[in-house]
Amino acid sequence: MKTLVVAERKGTELRRVTLELAAKARELGDATLVEIVSERYSPLPFVSALAQRVESEKPDLVLLGATLNGRDLGARLAARLGRAYAADVTDLRAAGNALEISKPMYAGKVRAKLRLGLPAVVSVRPGAISLKEGAAAPEVTKIEADGSAEKLTFVKLAATATTAKRVSLSEARVVVSGGRGLKGPENWHLVEQLADALGGAVGASRAVTDAGWRPNEEQVGQTGKTVTPDLYVALGISGAIQHLAGMTSSKVIVAVNKDPDADIFKIADYGVVADVFEFVPAFTEAVKKVRAS
Amino acid sequence: MKILIPLKQVPDSTVRVKVAPDGTSVVTEGITWSISPYDEYAIEMALERKDADPSTVVAVVTVGPERSRDALRQALAMGCDEASLVTAEGAAPLAVARALAKVVAEAKPDLVLCGKQASDDDQGFVGPALAELLGWPHVATITKVVPAEGAVELWREVEGGHEVWKAPLPALATVHKSEKEPRYPSLPGIMKAKKKDIPERPLDALGVDVAAPTWTVVSMEPPPARGGGKILRDGDAKQIAERLATALRDEAKVL
Repeated sequence: MKTLVVAERKGTELRRVTLELAAKARELGDATLVEIVSERYSPLPFVSALAQRVESEKPDLVLLGATLNGRDLGARLAARLGRAYAADVTDLRAAGNALEISKPMYAGKVRAKLRLGLPAVVSVRPGAISLKEGAAAPEVTKIEADGSAEKLTFVKLAATATTAKRVSLSEARVVVSGGRGLKGPENWHLVEQLADALGGAVGASRAVTDAGWRPNEEQVGQTGKTVTPDLYVALGISGAIQHLAGMTSSKVIVAVNKDPDADIFKIADYGVVADVFEFVPAFTEAVKKVRAS
Repeated sequence: MKILIPLKQVPDSTVRVKVAPDGTSVVTEGITWSISPYDEYAIEMALERKDADPSTVVAVVTVGPERSRDALRQALAMGCDEASLVTAEGAAPLAVARALAKVVAEAKPDLVLCGKQASDDDQGFVGPALAELLGWPHVATITKVVPAEGAVELWREVEGGHEVWKAPLPALATVHKSEKEPRYPSLPGIMKAKKKDIPERPLDALGVDVAAPTWTVVSMEPPPARGGGKILRDGDAKQIAERLATALRDEAKVL
């Protein structure tokens, strides 16, 4: 199978999901990677450049990361080319002259296996494909975004300072999330210090983002981000079904909650029934000690 | 300004979705249906524009089965002005987008707001596809819309902040969140919605090409059950914390 992978970069480094896609594409057969170069993502210039490339190379499959921009670009590309499309896929394999894909549906409450005809466009959830450490860096061809296709004007970037130095939530291998049990935004240093000790990203429950304690972009759950880290730590989160939908595929789940009947304990691998204010500082110290040894 | 919102009726987010005995679909009997959550945010965003400028007209449309009428009625009760239904069962996503493009061509809205994805298939296809078929620009996953002289400023949440884009009208945006939580229908709103006519026509009557690539379901299953986890209890906070950190390193191998 001939696959075209759309590479994404964060800063100067290729995103981890791009390496995952490259590994999968090589497994499926012939793989080429393209990176669309522009100051920032915008759908029309990106779709225009990518569609031209796809029409000249005629890959059976276009793979993108199911990132904020990858999902948007993939959908519009599939519509432009009239190709079959599946978003946020967690696994894929060749099946005759079609693809068999696995995809969570109903916000993760169902896992579907679907058959998708070729040619197709597929976006793959970051972290879903395992990456062998030390694999050779893939070769990436850079193509220019087609500025002549643009109909929008970029006005400005209104930055929020909070998340600048941490890894992005959707791609983080460790996520530490706080809920209403933290009692207020002034206590978020507890979540942040633990996240830093673990080298992870900070998330929040919907109750917390709705209350304005934390920005929306940190919300994990059905109307927020879906994360699949190796380790998910839920602090003071009761475990509403909408929150579980966003994190239940994490490899290992740790829950800390005062209420022994909290639903989060039903899906946790390790549970601690404790006051977060007492337990989290002790746990942060213990993590530092274990990681240092 | 006229704002059109294509919406989808989906199982309510509180429904514990179950796989049907055939193993390729989900149980739909007796479940509660709702407007898909991101479509509700789109409606709220449009109604906030209407609150600020009462001359704003907010219309909703859905391409779906007959039961979707309830979702349209709900949107009218929230305060939308018009609703229409295109009846279709199991139409391919691209066919849905083509039907919506036809509706947009007739209704001539200035702005189309779509939820960023429906909470059943989580595809997020129809919004960008509709913009593509219309030849319109679009901005994805917005959290705010501000009118600006024949254009709109669309705020889009990205890592570390918001990008602000100016789109000439007509334009399309997919909505991640509204500034306020979606409003509940008021009692007068519900009464008014009951009296409103919701015109209906079948997909075939639109004269759009319904042939489009789609998938076939091989199987559906619940996610692997979790559980069998352990609760760490004995000792004080420091002792439990140390046992947990050690277990994460030696047993779970994630540290």
